[in-house]
Amino acid sequence: MKKIGRYVKLMGVFAKYSLMSALEYRINFVTGVSVEMGWMIIKLLYVAIIYKAGTNIGILTPDHILLFVGTYMLMTGVYMLYFGNFASLPGMVQQGELDLYIVKPVSLQFLVTMRRLDFAYLLPELAAGVVMIVAGWHLAELPVGVASIAGFLFFLVCGCLLTYSLFLLPYILSFWIISIGGIADISNALWDFNNMPSMIYGKWFRRIGTYILPVFVITNFPGLFLMGELSTWACAWGAGAPVLFFVLSRTLWKFSLKKYSSASS
Amino acid sequence: MIKVENLKKEFTYYKKMTGIKGSLQNMFHRESLTKEAVRDISFSVEKGEMIGFLGPNGAGKTTTLKMLSGILYPTGGKVEVDGFIPWERKNGFKRRISIVMGQKNQLWWDLPASDSFYLNKCIYGVDDGSYRDIITELSEMLDVKELLNVQVRRLSLGERMKMEILAALIHRPDILFLDEPTIGLDILSQKKIREFLKIYNEQWKTTVIITSHYMADIEALCDRAVIINQGQLVYDGKLADMNQLLGKRKLLSVKTTGAVDIKAWKAFGMVREVSAAGAVLEVPQEKVQEVLGAILSGLQVEDFTVTEIPIEECIARFYQKEVVMS
Repeated sequence: MKKIGRYVKLMGVFAKYSLMSALEYRINFVTGVSVEMGWMIIKLLYVAIIYKAGTNIGILTPDHILLFVGTYMLMTGVYMLYFGNFASLPGMVQQGELDLYIVKPVSLQFLVTMRRLDFAYLLPELAAGVVMIVAGWHLAELPVGVASIAGFLFFLVCGCLLTYSLFLLPYILSFWIISIGGIADISNALWDFNNMPSMIYGKWFRRIGTYILPVFVITNFPGLFLMGELSTWACAWGAGAPVLFFVLSRTLWKFSLKKYSSASS
Repeated sequence: MIKVENLKKEFTYYKKMTGIKGSLQNMFHRESLTKEAVRDISFSVEKGEMIGFLGPNGAGKTTTLKMLSGILYPTGGKVEVDGFIPWERKNGFKRRISIVMGQKNQLWWDLPASDSFYLNKCIYGVDDGSYRDIITELSEMLDVKELLNVQVRRLSLGERMKMEILAALIHRPDILFLDEPTIGLDILSQKKIREFLKIYNEQWKTTVIITSHYMADIEALCDRAVIINQGQLVYDGKLADMNQLLGKRKLLSVKTTGAVDIKAWKAFGMVREVSAAGAVLEVPQEKVQEVLGAILSGLQVEDFTVTEIPIEECIARFYQKEVVMS
């Protein structure tokens, strides 16, 4: 428990320092927020078109779709909060910049993947995501009991953990092959499959995206749970997959770290 | 405190042909090569000792330091640092050591150094009282008290290095590894850091291993040097004893009232320098008196001095592998 408290405190210091560093460059910070808002408006246009056309996707009405896209936005904001750390990992491996982190008495994976947090990306996505989720939830007349809210939040948290674990995997490969630009592009493209509910995809594609490379679990399961569309088995998978992939990413990280050869001084 | 036995490190890499043709060939076939960066090195360091770890570029100094601090896994051999095996990276070990690298930094670039110190306080779990004491004490010793709240990016290289050293000492490590801590610094900053390390080592009995290309650092701080060349240990002993291995030779500098022909100087010993005002000769220690007597009786001498061969030169000879440890 004491250990968790220490990590939470460190996370708080990282968040504070990241925000302080970002605010040193005010124009860059404001530009970052503006660009993110631009992307967000483009995504909102998709939802607006669906509303205008009044199209349903399977059992999903435009109100449900609003909820799903809102969840996607929220999760994108959370992922973008620490994504910069993933992106800088190959460079750190190549330049031998892990040296001074390895000697610190805290988890190296935690230090390397959480030390810089980008609030310029998080804030607009978080605000828009929450508004869309609340609106979609209300308009679709989904249940608002304690169990529904708790379940929805539980699958959101599971989604966050799964995002971290699943999308870290390709970046860990940089310990082995150093330059991973191509693989990183594929993983980023995988993330974008979530910008619409998984029901727009075919049955087999959906199964692969749910059980093999479970990207669809991240943004679809919270909404599907609310709609009562998750079977017991799916609920178990929604809770188990994040743990499974976290263990996998942790194991691969530890194993790969042995490959670290630093760099010339 | 530190025991190193037959430590080895090999790196594998592939042979890169020059030009675009070579790059295309490498796409399909890569010839794997192995470089032995460190070869069977053994030495030990006592608690509180401060040793100079020397060698030319690419000798394996930094690689050895990285293995001792747990950054790299060795290919073979044993290392024990304060009872720990470094590459097991146990938190107990990490709390006892610290490493400063002249070419790398741990401070947050856009924030004042004091913020990075606070982060280290949280990472190492240092209590508030000890933290305040150490910041006050070390910032005064390093003469950076007024700079604690200035963003790191606004500091000069010398100031930044002092802050890096301070950051590395927040948790009062028992063992400190310093890899080129004065590289690129001006003479005053180098001197200040040297003085600081000397006092810190005496006061806290911290074990220090330092690598540096500046002999002034090593001469000022260390009694003992470990020299490696091409991954192998070539000398381990007192700095002062190096001359013994070079055949106990002395330098005899003689000033004359008039110019003397080089042939005449050669009759007295090995001539190192010659000018119209005199010469510098290298002679065996036991012959100094005899040679000096002959010079004084044969030439018009204005002044003379007898000195040791400079340590820098001794070390250079080890680098060139003119001498191997007996």
